[in-house]
Order: sequence, then structure tokens, then C-alpha cells
Amino acid sequence: MVSAETRKQYTVTIGIECHVQLKTATKLFAAVSNDARDAEPNTLISHICLGMPGALPVLNEHAVELASRAAFALGSKPSPFSTFDRKHYFYPDLPLGYQITQFYQPIVLGGTVTIVIDGQEKQIGITRAHLEADAGKNTHPTGADYSLVDLNRAGTPLLEIVSEPDIHSAAEARAYAHELYLLMKYADVSDADLYHGNMRFDVNVSVSKTNELGTRTETKNLNSFRSVEKAAEYEINRQIELLEKGQKIDQETRGWDEAKQKTLSQRGKEQAHDYRYMPEPDIPPVELDEAFIERIFKSLPAMPSDWRQKLTSLGLDASQTAILIDAEVDSPVVNYLPLLEKVISDKSYAKQLANWFVNIEIPFRSDEANIVELPNEARAPMYHAVYELVTGNKLSSSNAKLLITELLGHNSLPESVEKYADEQGLVQVSDTGEIEKIVVDVITANPAAAEDVRNGEMKAIGFLVGQVMKASQGKANPGLAQELLRKHLM
Amino acid sequence: MANLSKEDVLKLARLSKLELTEEEVSKFQKELVEILGYVEKLSEVDVTDLTPTTQVTGLTNVTRKDIVQKYQADQQALLKNVPSRQGNSIKVRRVL
Repeated sequence: MVSAETRKQYTVTIGIECHVQLKTATKLFAAVSNDARDAEPNTLISHICLGMPGALPVLNEHAVELASRAAFALGSKPSPFSTFDRKHYFYPDLPLGYQITQFYQPIVLGGTVTIVIDGQEKQIGITRAHLEADAGKNTHPTGADYSLVDLNRAGTPLLEIVSEPDIHSAAEARAYAHELYLLMKYADVSDADLYHGNMRFDVNVSVSKTNELGTRTETKNLNSFRSVEKAAEYEINRQIELLEKGQKIDQETRGWDEAKQKTLSQRGKEQAHDYRYMPEPDIPPVELDEAFIERIFKSLPAMPSDWRQKLTSLGLDASQTAILIDAEVDSPVVNYLPLLEKVISDKSYAKQLANWFVNIEIPFRSDEANIVELPNEARAPMYHAVYELVTGNKLSSSNAKLLITELLGHNSLPESVEKYADEQGLVQVSDTGEIEKIVVDVITANPAAAEDVRNGEMKAIGFLVGQVMKASQGKANPGLAQELLRKHLM
Repeated sequence: MANLSKEDVLKLARLSKLELTEEEVSKFQKELVEILGYVEKLSEVDVTDLTPTTQVTGLTNVTRKDIVQKYQADQQALLKNVPSRQGNSIKVRRVL
């Protein structure tokens, strides 16, 4: 293990390439369904996917539109002119003998992604993003002397996003991968389902003691934020250990072994690829006019960083903000941020609502034992009714929580939330006379504590308020109870 | 005059997934040098201020709608050409 001392002497430099599967109905160059998740092998194929002689690929216009949306999400804009190229290599999952990609003139050039690390914002530069067709899938049955090829995925549209080497720790690598996920979800360009491989990360790591960059390794095909972080961490340590022993780093491709939690060499530099790029003659260039670019720009919703600013200005902290921004894209049907947006001019309500989301609804939903029946459109009026009760001093904050979780389980909103809360015994008593009676009883029943308060020991008053709450079965307004106790004892 | 080492020929062969005998390597080394020399003639043309030609059709934005279509050759017709199969999967020599 590398000591923290040694570690500090090295600068870590990381760049990440991310392949995002675009949410189109059909493949990038063939009008064949793109949803390979539950399909039998080789059922979603065509003469184009198989690279039959004479087959003519035709570009999917929706993929261009999604890549253009992604451009804005990446702090850039779509290039008015982009072209396609052939990248040659031989592998059984690539029947054409080349991948159609954008090498010379990609659809996105430049950009910035803002990540949050230890509560601080940091900018990561985007070098480029380009459209390309995915390859098929090879499987290697254990013990067999053959491999099996499924070409359902061959031709699926990918956007490859290449970062600048602006990432300097494993934690930053994870934060960047997570931010890309959010951006792709918010811009609605990908299902970004990591479990199904909709986003795959290649992490390039090097370490150096000088101003010059060290030799880098590339760990390919990471499919979770955690594995991005773990693989980067492992590579940083492995490389420093080698250098400390006076050995050299091989520039190579590595894979991540999830079970062993280590990276393994896959392909040495002696086999380094020479892709022999050439312009793709079958796909004419893509020209995007100002009107198209403007239309795409206007159709984009607020991005995570916009929300971070808004939520922070409401007084939410970094962790609450992160919970809300993540939860927003957790489910395709349940929204939080649009509800906040509607009430954002009423700052105290918006803040209360955000707190209820973070502390009540989001954890409630994430527990599978809980079933939410309340229709989405009933949530805004429900929260508003509860807020009215709280501000009207009719509901304590702990009873507000009870009421909200109760109502989330209903399949419709009661005609009057106040009446319902009252029936459930949740409405607190703010009737001075009624509480005063209890206060007098509590003082009589707890003479020692009462004496302490009279002698100025204010700790005891909390105990007495607790007794009043207990005697009122939680219905007394605690503020009022304390006020009345003070009146009687001081 | 273009130059090409034996290693260059072997690298090309590897990229093209070809196995060459000793004689073939020498043979192709000579022939490839000739081809390169021939192609090098193109370098004599002055192309300053010219946009590289990547397309000759003059077309732009040839796209299609994102809708599934039925093509003439269906899946079974396509798989008929596969030399070796296991069920629907294409069987190839082990690659890992």
C-alpha cells in the first residue's frame, strides 16, 4: 500500500471517455429496433447491421437531434457541420470490418461540465462528443473453444463524450461520471440505465512527480459510478507502487475485475491499434442551421447546475440539493423540481416543501415496503394544505410528517385535509384554556421539576413540556405549552 | 522514394489479419514500396487552399425518420449466410 506521504508527491491526471446510448427507437444507420434488452440473439438485425455488400446505411435524424441536445447539456452547442468516418479493426462483433464514427469533424467540439466535489464546484473540460455505431456482443461460454456473437446491439447509436484530463482524483472521477449521468437524464437523450450498459466509462489514469504527464493506462468498460472510482483508485495506487519500485508503467488497456476489485492488463502496447480512419463515403455530411440549433436550445429544460443554484438560494445545503436532483430522475413519473419551481417565489413555502421531499417523501418512496397511491397531480394541493395547517399552528412538524406519509398512501386527497387530520387526532390544540388546564395538572404532578424551573433551571422546562405533550396525546401546541408553563412558574 | 521495413509489412499484415510467409514478406515489401512510390506522385500536386474532398455527391443531411421499417431480407434470410451457428447465435473461433 502506498503511504499518504508518498501519494502526496504525485499528481494524478485522469481523463474519461463515456459512451452513452441514445434513446432512439431504431439504430443509427438502420431502421431496425434498438431495444435489445429482452430480445433473442440476432433478431434485431438487417443487411445494414451485418455489413452485407451493397447495403446503404442511412442516418437516423433523431440521433442527430439527441446529440444536439446533449451538446447544450455539455455546456457547448452542436457544430453546424459534421461528418462521419470509418474506423477499421477486425473483431467478430463488427461485421463491417469498421465502425462508423465521427473522427475528423464531430458533432460536438468543446464544452464544460460542472461537478460538485466536497461542496465545491469544479469545471471539467469536454474535448469533444461524437456519434458512432455500437458493436455487437460476444459471449464466451465457459470451457468451449468458440465464442458466440449477437449482433442485436450492432449499430445502436452512441454518443462518445471525451473529457479533458482535468480530473485529479478518484472521487472527482466518480463525481464527473455521476454528473454526466444526470446531464443525459435531464437533457432526456438517454435512458442512462447503467445496469443495462446504457453508459460505459473508459478511465485514463496517469501519475507523475513532475510537470510532465506520466504514462497512462486505460481501464475500459466500467458500468457504475462506484467501479469508476474504485478502478481509478486502484490504478493510482498500482502506478505509484510501480514507480516507487523504479519500474515503468506500460501504456496499455486494462479491464476491471469486479469480483477481485482490481484492474487487469488486457492488451499490450505491441498490439496497439492503428485504425486507418477514412471519410465514410456512404453518409453525407450533417449540416445544422441556426433555426434548428435555436429550436433545440429552447426545448431544453433546466440542467442540474441551474437547479443547484436555485435550491442553494432557498437555503438548502449541498446534501439536500443532491438528494433532490438525483430523485428527480429516479422515476419517469414522479417529479419534485417542477413542484418547487411553481412555488419558488414563496421562499419559505418552497424551502419547507423541499425539506418535506428530502426528509419524508423521497425516503418513503425508496423503501419498497411503502406503497404510494396518491396521484401525482394531487401532491401539490396535498402539500399546500399541510403547509397551511402548519403555518396556522394547527399541525406540529412531527404530525405534519405523519399526515404526509398517511396521505401519500391514499388513492385520492380527502375533501378537506384539515378535517381528515382532525379525525386522525393530528391537529394540535392551540386553545389556551384547554392547554392551561393540562399545564396546571402537570405542575401539580411534577413538583420537583416545577421547583427546578422556579429556581432557574431551564432544562427542567423541556421535561415539563414533554409531560404536557404526553398528557394531551401529542395534540398540544408545544410552543404554547412552554409559554404557559413559564407564565405559571416564573 | 518511399521506404518500408520488414516490420512495417508485418504490422500491416497483422492489422489485415493475414499470415505471411518469409518469401511473401520480401515480395510484398518490394511491391508495397512500388505502390507507395506511385501514390506519392499525388504529393507533387499543390493543394494549398483546397478543402479536402470527403464526399463527391454534394449531398448533405440524408437522413430517415426514427421508425422501424421492414426490409426485404428478413432475419432468417440473413442468418442463412452464417457459416456456423448455435441457435440464433453466430459461432466463431474463440476470441478471448
